[in-house]
Amino acid sequence: MKLVEPKNFFAGIWKENPIFVLMLGLCPLLAVSSSLKDAAGMGVAFIAVLTGSNITVSLIRKVVPAHIRIPVFIVVIATFVTIVDYSLAAYLPQLHKNLGVYLPLMVVNCILLGRAEAFASKNNIFNSALDGLGMGLGFTLAIIVIAVLRELPGQGTLFGIRVFSENYKPFLIMIMPPGAFFVIGFLIALKNRTGGRKKC
Amino acid sequence: MKRKDIVTGLIVILIITVLSGYLLAQVYKITKIRIDEQKQSEEQRLYKEIFPEGEEFSEEKEYVAVYDGDDRPLGRIYHIVEAGYGGPIVIKAGFDIDSKIKDVRILEETETPGLGVKIKEKTFLDQFTGKSGNMLYLKKYNSEGTIDAITGATISSKAVSDGIIKAQERIERESGLNNSIEATTEGVEK
Repeated sequence: MKLVEPKNFFAGIWKENPIFVLMLGLCPLLAVSSSLKDAAGMGVAFIAVLTGSNITVSLIRKVVPAHIRIPVFIVVIATFVTIVDYSLAAYLPQLHKNLGVYLPLMVVNCILLGRAEAFASKNNIFNSALDGLGMGLGFTLAIIVIAVLRELPGQGTLFGIRVFSENYKPFLIMIMPPGAFFVIGFLIALKNRTGGRKKC
Repeated sequence: MKRKDIVTGLIVILIITVLSGYLLAQVYKITKIRIDEQKQSEEQRLYKEIFPEGEEFSEEKEYVAVYDGDDRPLGRIYHIVEAGYGGPIVIKAGFDIDSKIKDVRILEETETPGLGVKIKEKTFLDQFTGKSGNMLYLKKYNSEGTIDAITGATISSKAVSDGIIKAQERIERESGLNNSIEATTEGVEK
């Protein structure tokens, strides 16, 4: 593989989207997608952690013996998650509060571990960074689309700003956990319909 | 597995955890100052929101006593920690001199995003203002209750209501002492 392959960046956004194709990381996706503001914040935090952990894992891939790679990956991921956690608490306290427990829970997020294992530990730094950015962006776009489809009917607002009139009776189930499953299910069906479906 | 593999594995993981620990300690040092400042200014901001006319907020043992510009007591702010749905909820409940709720604010919570976090919204918290006694209960738990729970977040709503009722009970317990102090100050003023 070449030093820099742009296709690694685009794979995560559409063809190998972590949510709709790989179906990883559904837990924070379900939990934080009920409002657009939190979803966008989660997405940005996610891109930062994934890119950072991918670069680091790729950097140390040659010195880490295979049999201890998983604990090493988790230490690396936990370090980045904690850095993002502290930084958000210090500089964006409101967002930090809204994300609550789902921010530290990123430590056990399977997209992070999955990309470290499947990609960063086998590729150079530049491609790993591209992969992290692309996958992170893919996750962010997915969570934003889901948040729009949940917040708008569920609360009649977008980014906390009222879109529908005051008389609008919110379709509450959309911001509750079942709403997340409905939206994700329909979106995955739609994604499969538009092609890229693997015949098994 | 050979002994050599175990030793190299141990060394590698030791180096990585030490590096990561050192890095985190540095980040913690830098951010801690900001985080503490945020917390403190957040508390002061909440006090001012609860008692906009308050000028002096003095920390007592169990509460924060609030005075206006002329040193007249306006009320007290109690600090309550109550178990919510996702962890502790830290509540600041302001009581005026008649032991009625002045206003309530949430300092910290880890409730469900989109549902439980709504305990911080004015539409929920404003329901407590001006009330006392059994009116502070949720409607569904007490026939005299007047507080509407948040849809989909009954446990979070109940935690706030329970916390405020606890603060009220604390006031009632102290009231003997308190009344005598107020009586003497009133006597002096008159």
